[in-house]
Amino acid sequence: MKVFIVPPNSLILYDLVERFGHEPLSVMKAIRERVTDLEIDSPPLNVTPEDVKKGLKYAGVEVPSGIRGRLALWGPLIDQAEAAIVMEDPPYSFGCVGCYRTNEMVKYLLRKKRIPILEVPYPEDEEGAKRMVSEIKEFLEGLK
Amino acid sequence: MENESETRMIVIAPTSDITPDRVVRFIHSLGRQLTIKETCYGAMIEGSKKDVREALSEVRKLDPNRIFSKIRGYPIGDTRRCRAHHGSRPGFTQLEKEWKDLSLVEKGLSAAERGEKVKEPKRKEKIPVKKLRDIIEEVKE
Repeated sequence: MKVFIVPPNSLILYDLVERFGHEPLSVMKAIRERVTDLEIDSPPLNVTPEDVKKGLKYAGVEVPSGIRGRLALWGPLIDQAEAAIVMEDPPYSFGCVGCYRTNEMVKYLLRKKRIPILEVPYPEDEEGAKRMVSEIKEFLEGLK
Repeated sequence: MENESETRMIVIAPTSDITPDRVVRFIHSLGRQLTIKETCYGAMIEGSKKDVREALSEVRKLDPNRIFSKIRGYPIGDTRRCRAHHGSRPGFTQLEKEWKDLSLVEKGLSAAERGEKVKEPKRKEKIPVKKLRDIIEEVKE
C-alpha cells in the first residue's frame, strides 16, 4: 500500500515503511521528477508557475505562496495515499518541513481523505523509540 | 520503470561497527552498474532501480537493524546541491538529527523483533477536586 509520511522527507519513517513492506510516498520522489526532467529548467528548485497553480487545488489563493508551493508537491502525493503516518513534534522544524501552517494543512487533507492514519510522537528516549517502532509495525502489518 | 534511475542514501547508525568505507567496498564487490559515493554518514548509490534495490538488500544484510536508507531527490554530484560546487544542502540538519537518533530506532527494531512488550506511557491525570481545594485553601492562608 502507498503510505504518506509526515515529515515527508523523514529518513526514519521512509525506512520503516519500506522495511515493513509498503511503498512510502515522500517528497524526494516528487523532487526527483522536477530536477531530472529536462523540460523544466529553472534551477535551483524548478518550481514553475504550473506548480503554484496546482497548489490552488489544495489551498485557496489567499494562502501564502510558500504553503501553496509546498502543497503543489505534497498534494498529489496525498491524493495517492492509502494510509499515512504522522510523526508529531519532530525537532527539526525548519527547512523544507518547517512550515507549521503547511503541516497543519497536510494533516487536515489527510483526515479529510478518511484513510487509516497513525500519529506517533518523535522518540526522545529508548522507551519512546520502542513504542514508536512497535506502533508503526503493528499499523503497517495491519494494512491490507 | 525498472530502468528508471534512482539515487539512495545508505545511512549507518552511530552504534554500528560498520564503516562507510566497508559499505562502499562491499557495494563495489557486488559488481553492479552503480555510481557509489562514500559520505560521512554512509554512502550514496545511483543506478537503475533494480540494481539499486538489489544492492540495498545485500547491504542491509551486513547489519540489518543499523543500516537505514531513503531515496534522494537530487542525483549524486548535482551542481545545484553538491558542496564541491558550492551548492546548498538545506536538508542536512534534519539528516544529522535523524542519524543521531538511529541508535534509538535500532533499539526499537530489536525490541520489536524479540516481540518485547512496550510499556504504556504515563498519561497525565487530572488533579482531584480535593487536592485542588487544598491548594486553594493553602494559597488563601
